Amino acid sequence: MIDDVLAAPAATDSQEDLLDRRSRAVIAGIEAIDPAFVLHLASSTLKIVLDHFISGSGACDGRRVFAMPREEEGICIATGLELAGSRTVLIFQDNGIGNLLTALLTLPQPYHVPLFGVVTRRGGLGEYNSMIHTVSERSEALLDAAGVRWFQLDTRTPLDRWAVEIKRAWQFSRTTHRPVFMLVNLMGG
Amino acid sequence: MAIERADVLRLVDAAFPDSAIVLTLGGTAREMLAVAGRKANHIISLDAMGQTVSLALGLALGLEAERPNEKLVVIEGDGALIMGLSVMSTVGHLKPRNLVVFLLDNNVYLATGGQPTASSDMDMVAVAEACGWATGRDVRTADELAAAVAWAGSADGPVFIRVHIGVAQLKTNYFLEDPAVLAEDFRRWLKAAQPSSSSLG
Repeated sequence: MIDDVLAAPAATDSQEDLLDRRSRAVIAGIEAIDPAFVLHLASSTLKIVLDHFISGSGACDGRRVFAMPREEEGICIATGLELAGSRTVLIFQDNGIGNLLTALLTLPQPYHVPLFGVVTRRGGLGEYNSMIHTVSERSEALLDAAGVRWFQLDTRTPLDRWAVEIKRAWQFSRTTHRPVFMLVNLMGG
Repeated sequence: MAIERADVLRLVDAAFPDSAIVLTLGGTAREMLAVAGRKANHIISLDAMGQTVSLALGLALGLEAERPNEKLVVIEGDGALIMGLSVMSTVGHLKPRNLVVFLLDNNVYLATGGQPTASSDMDMVAVAEACGWATGRDVRTADELAAAVAWAGSADGPVFIRVHIGVAQLKTNYFLEDPAVLAEDFRRWLKAAQPSSSSLG
């Protein structure tokens, strides 16, 4: 009996449903910020979120959405946008955190420029890549070692709170004049 | 006679007194301070290389709608640009009309002792144009430099100007300002500066 239960999760708990519901909560949170600029990295787990902003209703008048080829380039572009007074959100995966640390710690952090990034988790429950956990599991430790403020949304936070908490984390970056990241687990756990 | 870095900095500062100017790190920033003084419209990327054009691109995009008649000027070096060369494609894709990049190309990492860069084998203007920049030109003489600076003020961007310079350096002091102060001064200058009513050309 227990094997049957484990082998056949309820439809509402399927990987696809989970990804869909959590992605829509993230979209709602970013839309609550109402960014004028959305910068993103390529990411399969972020496809629903990115589709919304690239080609869905999130691709609205007055908003520019574009890809950053590298995380560090995105950090620098976003710093310039914020210095100009433009509301900006970065979206990328946690396996790119290592790429951005030097830019983050030499530009927005010491210059006291608020920056906000939504960072999707990889390498945990539901992961399909046999390597990526080796970098993704270190995400919190990397950010802590760098002194970068982060919050996290996963199964411990009710989904109906995600959008509110994303908006609050963005506001916290303004209040404290520094980069803040919201780690979001779209895949499970 | 070779154009030297300080010559370019003097000309750019004089030509763009009311524009935001983003400066790369090291000797370039210190020489600008030596020839022009500390200015609130100058924002310096103090440390890591490969950031300057990206930072300026964000500023250009952020200011483009509100201040369509104002230029956003960048002073970058060849070594630093090559460290973040992907930004050339991002600029070419986004095409900010207000962005003007002066690449001061001496073919070496001068700040760290003169180690050679790869720029001597690169056609940087061709790279910019292939990436979708609006226009660009190479500058090798003082007359070409004066003409290019004047042209940059009116040309539709993004504009890429590669200035071939020598390796002479001014003697300067270290610049030890708190970066948070630099950013705040720059923000206040932006708020105080009225958008220009003049046309780009």
